[in-house]
Amino acid sequence: MKLQHYLGGLEGLGPVSIETRVFVEPWETRIFAIHTAMMALSAQLPLPQTPSAFNTIWTWADLRKGAESLNPFDYFKYRYYEKWLGGISGYFIDHGYITAEELDALTEEYYQHPSKPLPSAGAAAIDDRVVEYLVEGDSPARDVLVTAEFSVGDMVRIENVPSVEHTRLPGFLRNRTGIVETVYPGAYTYLCDTGPDGIGPAMTVYCVRFDPNDLWPGNAEPNFSLYADLYARYVASADVSVSVEAA
Amino acid sequence: MSERFKYREDREAYSAARVRALEALLIKKGIITDRTVDTVLEFFETKMGPFNGAKIVARAWVDPAFKERLVADTPKAIAELDLPDGMAGAEGEHMRAVANAPGVHNLIICTLCSCYPWPVLGLPPYWYKDPTFRSRAAREPRAVLAEFGLPISEDVEVKVWDSSAQIRWFVVPERPAGTEGLSETELEALVTPEAMMGVAVANAA
Repeated sequence: MKLQHYLGGLEGLGPVSIETRVFVEPWETRIFAIHTAMMALSAQLPLPQTPSAFNTIWTWADLRKGAESLNPFDYFKYRYYEKWLGGISGYFIDHGYITAEELDALTEEYYQHPSKPLPSAGAAAIDDRVVEYLVEGDSPARDVLVTAEFSVGDMVRIENVPSVEHTRLPGFLRNRTGIVETVYPGAYTYLCDTGPDGIGPAMTVYCVRFDPNDLWPGNAEPNFSLYADLYARYVASADVSVSVEAA
Repeated sequence: MSERFKYREDREAYSAARVRALEALLIKKGIITDRTVDTVLEFFETKMGPFNGAKIVARAWVDPAFKERLVADTPKAIAELDLPDGMAGAEGEHMRAVANAPGVHNLIICTLCSCYPWPVLGLPPYWYKDPTFRSRAAREPRAVLAEFGLPISEDVEVKVWDSSAQIRWFVVPERPAGTEGLSETELEALVTPEAMMGVAVANAA
């Protein structure tokens, strides 16, 4: 069980941060843009080839896996873009694009001389593709015929799938029952195959409504509903659990 | 163990040097160009940002039929407006708007990460990415909203939408009272990212 999958409903955390800035340090803008460029240049996208040396896959799933695999203390300790910086640097080192030694050495150099300029280089086609990605996006919708097992109004039970490194199932919904609010038309992939967790192939997605009193009995606020978008893999018939319990 | 809870004293200077070193290496190795980072940042200053969402909401305020279409089929309604290319682009491929109304208040969260509708709202503010916000809003949204200075009475239904699959959500706040004489452009100025995520409402200036 990874704490990062179970953030929803965690108690004892104190007041929320009301910081409305997107970036709180100028360096954060740079790592955000590097991540976005990596997503745009990622090998699986159907975008024009460029002279970029980037030839592997980097998606949100890779960034999220990194954050979900952190020690939970570190997850809370480090600011949002500090986690990005760690995960993205690690990826470039692990995939052999750069070495830890050269990154450390150059970090020291920029630490001593913060205004030392960046190198000048690069083909415009690389930046054209980055903009093309931002404009076109990367829709997970696939032209695959799937049959939705459930309809609006059906009661469903959320599966307790095996816990792996990365999931799109919020932990606090596991084993809970809810009511289908929307059956999204079409079929949707995920950015990677999550193995025994079960998403990746194109499937139906549901929006399911939960009663917070079922999620946190006696410990939820009144007159509120919680809705979550859930891949069909996570959604099962409520009848099954009832009959198993009866047997 | 206490080391785990300590930050480097030069925490920000170190990160600034490290990200600059990373950018320099990526340019040197031909992965990105010396313009890539600035190209991305300029895109979010001019093309994808909360200025688009404000236009969408202001139109919904002056045109109730548009508001109905916006909630029924969000991408199709957005495509009616004269907005920059990319309104179904990165992180906005599948958007869904929910509208506040008397008796209903909507709040958007992402308990697993920080899913946010980039084309119409740009990038998420820190509060949205805060693990404490993400944890607490799922169980006690009224307590959280009160900390944002937005008390919601118990006779108003709160709907919390957790973004965990393909949809990127945003809220159409209610048009504030006393704005009958304002133009659409003047109305845009009243729409904040916070109001379009549900931790605030729109207020008359």
